[in-house]
Amino acid sequence: MATETTTVTDLAEAAERQRRLELKELLNKKYKWIDWKWDLVFWTTAIFVVAGAADITKQLFAGDWDFWTDWKDPQWWPVVTAFATIIIPSTLQYIQWAAWRFPTGATYTACCLFFAAWVGRYFQWDLAATYPMNFVWPASVVCAGILMDWTLMKTKSFILTSLIGAHVWAIAVWAYNYVPLAAFLQPAHFMDHVVTVADVQGIAYIRSQTPEYLRLIERGALRSFLGETQYVSLAFAGTAAFVGYWIGQFIGRYLAVWPIRRYLKTV
Amino acid sequence: MGRRFVLGSERVNVSSNRYEMLDTFTLFGVLCVILAVVLANPPNVAAHGEAADEPFLKNMTTAFFNVSVSPTEIEVGEPVKVTGSVKILETWPHTLETPEIASIMPVVPGPVFVLKERFVNGTAAIGSFFAQKGGIYEFEMELVGKEPGDWHVHPGIAVYGTGTLIGPGEWVSVKPSDEPFSFPLTLMSGETIELSTYGGAFVWWWSFAGFVLGVAWILYWTTNKRTVTNLAVTVQLPVNDDAPDIGLITPRDHMWMNVIVGVTLVMLVVGWTYATSNAPVRWPQQTDWFTPEFISSGEKMAEARASEATYDEASETLEMKVQVTNVIESDIELKQLTMAMATFVNGPEAEQAKAGPSDFVGRLEVQPDGPIAPGENKELTLTISSSIFSEERLIPTQAPQQFIGAVLRFENGNDGHELVTVRSNVVPTQFRSTYLP
Repeated sequence: MATETTTVTDLAEAAERQRRLELKELLNKKYKWIDWKWDLVFWTTAIFVVAGAADITKQLFAGDWDFWTDWKDPQWWPVVTAFATIIIPSTLQYIQWAAWRFPTGATYTACCLFFAAWVGRYFQWDLAATYPMNFVWPASVVCAGILMDWTLMKTKSFILTSLIGAHVWAIAVWAYNYVPLAAFLQPAHFMDHVVTVADVQGIAYIRSQTPEYLRLIERGALRSFLGETQYVSLAFAGTAAFVGYWIGQFIGRYLAVWPIRRYLKTV
Repeated sequence: MGRRFVLGSERVNVSSNRYEMLDTFTLFGVLCVILAVVLANPPNVAAHGEAADEPFLKNMTTAFFNVSVSPTEIEVGEPVKVTGSVKILETWPHTLETPEIASIMPVVPGPVFVLKERFVNGTAAIGSFFAQKGGIYEFEMELVGKEPGDWHVHPGIAVYGTGTLIGPGEWVSVKPSDEPFSFPLTLMSGETIELSTYGGAFVWWWSFAGFVLGVAWILYWTTNKRTVTNLAVTVQLPVNDDAPDIGLITPRDHMWMNVIVGVTLVMLVVGWTYATSNAPVRWPQQTDWFTPEFISSGEKMAEARASEATYDEASETLEMKVQVTNVIESDIELKQLTMAMATFVNGPEAEQAKAGPSDFVGRLEVQPDGPIAPGENKELTLTISSSIFSEERLIPTQAPQQFIGAVLRFENGNDGHELVTVRSNVVPTQFRSTYLP
């Protein structure tokens, strides 16, 4: 009896080995008509769709925080930016991993977003509206994208990526953009007050329809945490990014891939 | 003659189709050229949209007076002073949130000027302040010309829950200068920076460096592996199977990705070290909301109540009846009526010229004119004919709140004055038929 079971198991394993060998052969198959140009067309055309989706999502949830240095504060900016920017990268991460087993979705989206955001800021805000670029520069999420894709590659699990990668994302988005922001947080004397360089930009470069009271920044309410507003916010930013990650997964699974699978099945 | 093909039962004339396509392409081309010409030379937008606001948003909320924008011709880098006062009216509409927080700012088409100084009731105001109905706020702002052009400059007061309400404006012509625009700012460290460009190059190159790493990551996967055809393999595998034996994600892939992640982390550490050594003192963004010092409406000298008002749209004439009682021991006289951003003066042109930007000043006719004796109760008929009413849409003619609010300025002979707010129902003299809702 035991011998028979062993034989069946061996047969199953052999069949699985054979199947994987065939898959390896299929992976390396040289297609005559579907050559690399199809890949090029795909990746290139997707840039605009992905960039648009990522930029719109970011502007929808974190518009002003991303537009102005005087909104990039220790309390709100890390939270809203982490949440707003992770949604579409998560979607693309699912699609590209599920379809091609590429841990590239977040990085690809981040690069597309970089392109769209800088083009938008330069042409619309700097050239057309004459706001200086050092006031309206967009946050970059490429570094965070790399780290989150790496997390997925190592864990091969969306659940673990959401638990670890989302927190890594939140910290990386903040840390990477804090480097250029630091210079704008230096104190200066202006209008009889000691304010940051970012504040001076916000006051000097007139925004008639964005009065100062609309600015959602730290106003001292979290100071009971021994003054460590930044770390409290980052902890919450990780949680917010976790939620954003699964919103992105929902979009990827049920709004992007699921309808295509249904269509393919009917074909 | 065109060649004819038979497609099913359809006959298709190829030549005529070609001409139709040619026409379509020609039309498309012409449209593209027109679009390009229009886009290549876009006109500047000079207005601020205030005329689109409902009348009650203007005349029942605030009144701007004594506004001055000067000088009106400068070069880039030179200052312009915007001064004046705004009163938040007691007639504040019930449909708006009660005013509690406000901010006074110049209303201009974007940052064509920079704001260098701002005082509200004598206090330097970097941000917002606590406001209330009946409050009078004197402002003084110094702008510096940044972009050459002709710009319409208004003062404005933004009130939380309502938006920006604007005062009277003046055209300011900013000529190019031999010197480029400069905004030096001294840090607390003693270093002086140029605000227009400070940190901009580093922001770009730092962001771009990260972008290069990202592109390297993407290119590794897209140039070493096939994309589209991978689907044939991945659909046959569980989603958490990276299949190194098949070749989907190999140890070599892991190695190179580890390298890129390593470079990313090194970059972060180097960046942080640079940032914190370059800017060792960093502050949170500052916020300062304050309560401005109280400014009185003036010595109590009159009690005024508007009893009725009519508005004739054809002649742009407002007529208002006001019951006035003099409550002091000397004669008083009604000298001005301010409605939203417009001031109407009971006096000669010289007095009108001092009342504010000329486009927003008009004549106020008072009947019977002359002083009101101590203790006297008088019904005054105020008549104003002005195109400002229609240009700025100040008077409601068919609105759910068919009211107007205004501030009357009474003066006595001893340089004393009082500002009194009145509110009246306004009845149009002409009712127009409307066929659409």
